[in-house]
Amino acid sequence: MKGNKAKLFGVMAVLLVGAGLLQRTAIYPSWKKNFAPRQQGLSSDLSPDQLLVAMAGFRELIAGILWVRADSFFDTGNYDAILPIIRLVTWLDPKQIDVYSTGMWHIAYNFTDEEQRSDRRYVPPALALGKEGAENNPHTYEMFFETGWLWYHKIDDDHQKAVNWFQQALERKDIDFIAARKNLLSNALQRNGQVREALDFYLKLLADAEKVYEKDPSFGNQQNRDTIENNIDTMLVRMSQRGWFATQLGYRDQGEYDIDPPFDVGFSAQVTVEDPMVLRIRGSWNVQPVGSRIRFILRDSDFPNAVPGGMEWDKTDSVSLDPPKNITYVQDGLFVRNRRFDRKIDMSRDKTMYPCTKPDYVIEFFYNPRSAPPHIQDKFGWNGEGMTDKNFLNTEIRPGSRVIFATLKLTRDQLLRRGEWIDRVPVVQTPNYVPPKRLKDEPRMIAVPSTRAETAGGPNEPAPELAPSK
Amino acid sequence: MRVILSIASTTVGEAIRRRVLLIILLIGVLFLAVAPGLTVLSARQERTVLIGMTLGIIQLTSAVIAIVLTVYMIPNEIERRTIYTILCKPVQRWQFLVGKYLGAVAALGLMMALMTIVLVLVFALQQGVQQMDQLVLLAKAPAMFFVQMSLLAAVAIFFSTFVSPLVNFFLSGGLYLVGSLFNSFFEVISSNPNSPALAKGFATFANTILPNFANYNVQNPIINPGQIIENESIYYVRVTIYGLLYIGILLVGGIVIFDRREV
Amino acid sequence: MAAAIETINLTKTYKTRGGARVDVVDNLDLHVEEGEIFGFLGPNGAGKTTTIKMLLGIIYPTSGEGFVLGKEIGDMDVHRLISYLPEKPYYYEHMTGMEILRFYASLFGIKDDEKCQRLLEKVNLASDATKTISQYSKGMQQRIGLAQSLLNDPKLLFLDEPTGGLDPIAHIEIRDLILQFREEGKTCFISSHELSDVERICDRVAIINKGRIAAQGPLDELLKGGRIEITANGLEEPFAHSFRDTLPSAIVSFSHGRLILDVPDEIDINPILDAIRDKNGQVASVIPRRKRLEDLFVETISEDDPKRAREDAARKKEESK
Repeated sequence: MKGNKAKLFGVMAVLLVGAGLLQRTAIYPSWKKNFAPRQQGLSSDLSPDQLLVAMAGFRELIAGILWVRADSFFDTGNYDAILPIIRLVTWLDPKQIDVYSTGMWHIAYNFTDEEQRSDRRYVPPALALGKEGAENNPHTYEMFFETGWLWYHKIDDDHQKAVNWFQQALERKDIDFIAARKNLLSNALQRNGQVREALDFYLKLLADAEKVYEKDPSFGNQQNRDTIENNIDTMLVRMSQRGWFATQLGYRDQGEYDIDPPFDVGFSAQVTVEDPMVLRIRGSWNVQPVGSRIRFILRDSDFPNAVPGGMEWDKTDSVSLDPPKNITYVQDGLFVRNRRFDRKIDMSRDKTMYPCTKPDYVIEFFYNPRSAPPHIQDKFGWNGEGMTDKNFLNTEIRPGSRVIFATLKLTRDQLLRRGEWIDRVPVVQTPNYVPPKRLKDEPRMIAVPSTRAETAGGPNEPAPELAPSK
Repeated sequence: MRVILSIASTTVGEAIRRRVLLIILLIGVLFLAVAPGLTVLSARQERTVLIGMTLGIIQLTSAVIAIVLTVYMIPNEIERRTIYTILCKPVQRWQFLVGKYLGAVAALGLMMALMTIVLVLVFALQQGVQQMDQLVLLAKAPAMFFVQMSLLAAVAIFFSTFVSPLVNFFLSGGLYLVGSLFNSFFEVISSNPNSPALAKGFATFANTILPNFANYNVQNPIINPGQIIENESIYYVRVTIYGLLYIGILLVGGIVIFDRREV
Repeated sequence: MAAAIETINLTKTYKTRGGARVDVVDNLDLHVEEGEIFGFLGPNGAGKTTTIKMLLGIIYPTSGEGFVLGKEIGDMDVHRLISYLPEKPYYYEHMTGMEILRFYASLFGIKDDEKCQRLLEKVNLASDATKTISQYSKGMQQRIGLAQSLLNDPKLLFLDEPTGGLDPIAHIEIRDLILQFREEGKTCFISSHELSDVERICDRVAIINKGRIAAQGPLDELLKGGRIEITANGLEEPFAHSFRDTLPSAIVSFSHGRLILDVPDEIDINPILDAIRDKNGQVASVIPRRKRLEDLFVETISEDDPKRAREDAARKKEESK
């Protein structure tokens, strides 16, 4: 028996080595690739009991129950409660596209201070959630489209990213069911400065839509075809008026186009710290038609991943619901009315959103005509060819596009009204800032005269007198 | 071989008459049958939730059956003295142990087959018979669960050669949980650049040595169709071989211990 | 004749929880001849079952040697030639009598339904062959156990408390079967603490107590020293008392003309009877009383443990009422 025992131990050892080798070399890599539950943030976000429940089967069931529960939180606006659920549900059941898309939208758009929605630290995790959702659901277009939309609409910068995501969405067959969504790629291409590609894409869509209509002449298919046709018409007119063809064909200098001559937007700005953490931002923007939004950023001077006029939004893959507590990034749009902007940003209410722990801060003003609405782009062109500014025109920070970019500085003491600033109101401003003359009785009506007819006006020109509305 | 088969078939006969097992099985089948009524959660996910839940029921029920079935197998034989009437015959102890194990696996197979049939029936009633090919795909998961449960039964029978049934219940159940979770933990630890080398080494060691029950949790792609699995059948073959190797380890270990055991 | 069982200093030691060592079987020397019915007697906990398990190779001796049918214990070949009927065994309840026999037969590689049928008849279960074990009475279960132990025509049968918990009729049935085995030339090794049954059929016995052999030998030898009781009426007191002088080994009692004489059985009683008749006495009865195994048992054990023996005897008395 002694000898037998040694033999049996030998057999066990051989089997163990065999099983171990099989596990390490063949099974685990394949398991990880094909069968592993997604675990981004697993170690920090899921407690062992949640894990246990999850692994004991019923993942989809529990995910379903949780999502139903989250619904009630949506109704009550209890966003803090929803976010962990989103993380848990998507981990339990990575195929819940609804949860991914709603969750992503939610984190990016709503999970910020309720009044101002200026804290943008949540955009990267939202983006990461979108990326994860797409990775986990590669057979459907949905998460690719949704993530593209986040880039296109919420971030509205680095437009190549939106283009890439929409292109990936288009590779998925099931986008055909909602044909209209395809058009968005053309818009993204225009924002990315790829005007020809945008047109080409429309033409391809038209050809496809015609084929579909031939096969099945239903009302829906007809409408889809007509919409694309109209879009192409509009686009061709714009391309012509904005001098695109002339530029391409080399006779731009032979005629007057809508974008000529470049219009000086006359940007100036002043930031006043009215109370601790309460900013008043005023300034001039010499564009009368409504629709200009100037990006305002207040961030730590050493904010990681910062780029002029924004940040590298997709630097993280972690869907962390706890953004770093010690960094500050405020971004918002300054809406222009009557050639002025005047906005109050109150950051004093929610301390968790704007920690302001660093000593020095940078304020940035940024305007990219690529994001402008068509009626303004008609003057400015796709890339800002029809726009200029005496002081703040910048052609470097966004290659291929002429943008407006200005920076100011603020210290923590100023922001918090401490030290010497307890009694003195801190005011920082661009050198060219002149207070607008008439703020009290400005007309309530928004007039939309054409920018085309106007000559380049100085930044300090008062708003024209307008007839009050009836 | 005849001896092993005799013991195995007798074990099957006994197991399928054990009341506690039948009750567990009945509860499982009952849950399977009412499962369609519970999936009012989200219209879009209905099928997903239903598949996920029913497969979960099968897995959980099978695991409980596998453990309850095997932890008492050897101790009962000793307590009732039946083992003496067998071991005094020309029956080697290893034959007895292997026969008992094979009987347990066969009984488990029967019960799991029954649940799978109920599962298929539920889906056939729910969604019509025209999707028969999908139903066959559905049965892949229970097939892998069967290998998993056979491994679990081997764990339990190994422990039953030297610990009491109650301790064994928790040991085997615990090992099943750890074995189900460890692949995931391993993935986290090994992919985290911050984990200390010692932890990584330990995780690698444990992942190599432990019976990895997670290998058989293949339900996710079935629950969510459309996911493309590379070399799916090769994977199934591999994990089955892995299971057989590991069952071999546990049985040989059990034999070594059981051979010197005072019964 | 060759020895069916031979043990030399067979010892089994268990460690208790406290770490103390307990010799359950202590230097046991057994010798069982082929073809005999051997009674292995002792109180509960004496080490009987442990000894049998060692002989069967189910547990392993701590020290010493043992041989069964000429081979060292634990030898698989021996298992084909022996059988064991454990005390109150459980058979798979879901199986019928016939299925049980088929199952155990298959363990020997035997596939012979006819043989199973014959054995069922032998143990008087032919009419219950299709009932499941759960429907069997205790006696029937014991008999099916016996039947399964005969499947391989064993040369040597180990019967552990074969009549334990059975009613008197079942006792007799089992006893008759055992006697039949002897006729067929089988060796029976019967462990028992129920003395009355075994005493009648055993050729030789060993009495074990606390793991040690207290007595071993042919039953006749161990039971030497019986007595005869003579009862006579119509006698005078002086005559009666005269026996106290003539027969010092006799116990004499007399009252109202009745004499009771209790004499060792090695004495020739004819002269006594003649003397009684000479005095016109009427002999009412002559009852020979062999020494009972029970007495021997109590005697042997009381040497070892008087208190225990007294309790044992009292219990036995209680039970026999």
